[in-house]
Amino acid sequence: MGLSKSAAIVGAAESNEIGYPEVPKTSLELHIEAIKNVSIQTGIPISAIDGIFSAGMSSEIAEHLGIHPKYIDTTSVGGCSFEIHVHHALLAIFAGVIDVALVTHGQNGWSARRIGHGGGGGYGGAGITSPSVQMTIPYGFSGAPSHYSHVMVRHNHLYGSTPEDFANVAVVTRDWATLNPRAVMFSEETHEFGGKITTETVNNAPMISWPLTMLHCCLVTDHGGAVLIARPEIAKSLNTKPVWIAGAGENMSHSNMLEMGDFAATSAFASSKTAYEMAGLGPADMELALLYDSFTITPALTAEMVGLAPRGEGHLLWKEGHAAKGGRLPINTNGGGLSFNHSGMYGMQLLIEAYRQLSGTAEDGVNGIAGKQTNAATCIVNGTGGSLSTTGTLILVADD
Amino acid sequence: MTYDKPVPTPSPLTKPFYDGLKEGKLMLPRCQDCNRVHWYPRYICPFCHSINIAWIQGSGEGRIHTFAVQHRASGGWAKEVPFVTAFIDLNEGDRMATVLRGIDPAVPSAINIGSKVRVEFEKAAQDIYIPFWRVVGD
Repeated sequence: MGLSKSAAIVGAAESNEIGYPEVPKTSLELHIEAIKNVSIQTGIPISAIDGIFSAGMSSEIAEHLGIHPKYIDTTSVGGCSFEIHVHHALLAIFAGVIDVALVTHGQNGWSARRIGHGGGGGYGGAGITSPSVQMTIPYGFSGAPSHYSHVMVRHNHLYGSTPEDFANVAVVTRDWATLNPRAVMFSEETHEFGGKITTETVNNAPMISWPLTMLHCCLVTDHGGAVLIARPEIAKSLNTKPVWIAGAGENMSHSNMLEMGDFAATSAFASSKTAYEMAGLGPADMELALLYDSFTITPALTAEMVGLAPRGEGHLLWKEGHAAKGGRLPINTNGGGLSFNHSGMYGMQLLIEAYRQLSGTAEDGVNGIAGKQTNAATCIVNGTGGSLSTTGTLILVADD
Repeated sequence: MTYDKPVPTPSPLTKPFYDGLKEGKLMLPRCQDCNRVHWYPRYICPFCHSINIAWIQGSGEGRIHTFAVQHRASGGWAKEVPFVTAFIDLNEGDRMATVLRGIDPAVPSAINIGSKVRVEFEKAAQDIYIPFWRVVGD
């Protein structure tokens, strides 16, 4: 048997609260709530977990759970860490080292404003003494938006696209969010900027880093999530439906944006190539796409990289309605990092939505929330971390 | 007026760069084996992995690769918003980050990718100068 489908995601759950909890939460609390929920969902006891994968917190979480995993991975390369964890878990299970892998996420992006971060991982970028930081720190860059804006400007220059074109990504993604009651931007009741929007709303929102207005940018929320991955014998013995890991790949083009060679390309080209080849599938086989949307430019550029659109035309998937409900390729059916939830790292939210749509659990509701948006049997998931730096791609397929 | 924006801390690896800035020179690391200039300074050439790296004086000329207008910033930069950050393609090869001089941040449509820029130096602290790039042509 080959690597493809040698393990399956057998459950995916969130923390009890996500978004903007009334009582501030710690990152650890968000982790533990989600882990408990996925254990209940699958019937797999926490004591059966023998591999742990998290963005920077694996030893603390394993200790808190009182488990003694024999495979410990704490890869922390930004929002795509979780897709990369799935890749690593697949390899560890295929190699026979472990039977059950826990991939876990807890990040109090919102609560941290009141009680501090207390862990939660993040982008394992360079420190203050590194030469790359020395050569960028004097220039007033302020967080992710101040970097990603340069990429949209370059895309506009090369392909004649406009910021207004990318506003369509925000509008279509918001339409999906209005179908998801857990989405921060679900309605005007859940957020002052919530509910349906138009490209005009996006264009007229406060400017953050030209050409990115606030509504070109993702949310900052709390989120906990956990998935369990198991070898086929175990996956088939559970009451939950397996979602098979048909392909997985990871790659990186740079760490600091100073080293981004082509400002209109990402390593998703390489990571998706690895994943497609493992799966024996291609872009035309994908029936659902979950593409990391930290900013409107991110999923549009990623769509080009993973072969869902020609170079320079990624934004047209949204502008022409293909990514919307009823379109030929639904994209970001949960409402995305733009309008559903984005805790700083968004890769776990992608995994959970992929599991919900492919396993049929969205029909019954995970954590009580229904939201089956497609009948897709195949899904490409692509996470992006850092400053369009690192990517992880998964090709997931539903059980027969 | 005191300089209130982030000031980098030179290390042995980057000291020749900062020494050059004090004398009004833009020093760049170049691999002595493959002759390619790289930016930022490294212990090893990222192109051929040679460790024979020497410093050369750059021309201080380049072109805008891409840019953005920052409307939010922290610390000393907060008082200067909006300002224009950019990545500069050096004439010698590879790329530098900067804040552009000689442009109007209120009119980004008048800023062009590919425009010629020239380096200038601003004193930030005792013995620390920082390079900024000014648009000087089309």
